[in-house]
Amino acid sequence: MMFPETPELTVSIPAKTELLKMLVELTNHIAVRNFFSPSESRKIALAVDEAITNVIKHSYKESEDSEIKLDFYCSNEGMKIKLEFSGIPPQLSESMVNLEKMIKAKKKGGLGVALIKRIMDSVEYRTIEDVNYLEMIKWKRSS
Amino acid sequence: MRNFLIKSKTIENVGVLYPTGHLDAHSVEKFENEMIKMLDDSIVKIVVNCNDLNYISSAGMGIIMGYLDEIREKGGDIKLSNVIDRVYEIFDLVGFTEIYDFEKSETEAIDKFNDVS
Repeated sequence: MMFPETPELTVSIPAKTELLKMLVELTNHIAVRNFFSPSESRKIALAVDEAITNVIKHSYKESEDSEIKLDFYCSNEGMKIKLEFSGIPPQLSESMVNLEKMIKAKKKGGLGVALIKRIMDSVEYRTIEDVNYLEMIKWKRSS
Repeated sequence: MRNFLIKSKTIENVGVLYPTGHLDAHSVEKFENEMIKMLDDSIVKIVVNCNDLNYISSAGMGIIMGYLDEIREKGGDIKLSNVIDRVYEIFDLVGFTEIYDFEKSETEAIDKFNDVS
């Protein structure tokens, strides 16, 4: 089994951007403790920031009384982070970005999903009975 | 405790922004407001001195990206200076290092605007 069935840690938070920094620090801490390098750990934490931001902005439209649940799974092979939330299902189609085109279009958004996909080895989401699940995996020694 | 602060000053027609701390979707509004203030004052040569910037997410990078076209149309540009390694790594992940000028120091960035070699 690649990951244990029970998460190492489960956190439920209200959908508020003011909690992003705390989640970045928490994720970084878990990744370092799971023997990811400091650089990889920071990137995994950034991917979590981007995923949570995406949920707050796009799925919940910044409604602060909504909730996001995060499950952290760790094993010798890697780390899996699962987000559970309701609201509008996420759009994860953007993986490549053309910065020049985005600059010309004066776009301020659109980098988050690309960052998540660039950092994590696997990014999947599914919606079951109005609940969205976003699962991100980072394997060790992958780049 | 405040996680993010932004200061600015103008040196020889070049506006310098000093973001300090953690720049994410929560703090980005302060950063954007300071950028808009520069543009309202017709300052289009902008240096973002990242010496005290510990973290940036796509929200912060979106501001640097979203105003660049307008700034270039007006004959200006955005240069970044004093970027610490861990933040440079993030800029590099999305390809900013190929689009923007990254200078070691604020002085070098200002000199580049003023064609001093």
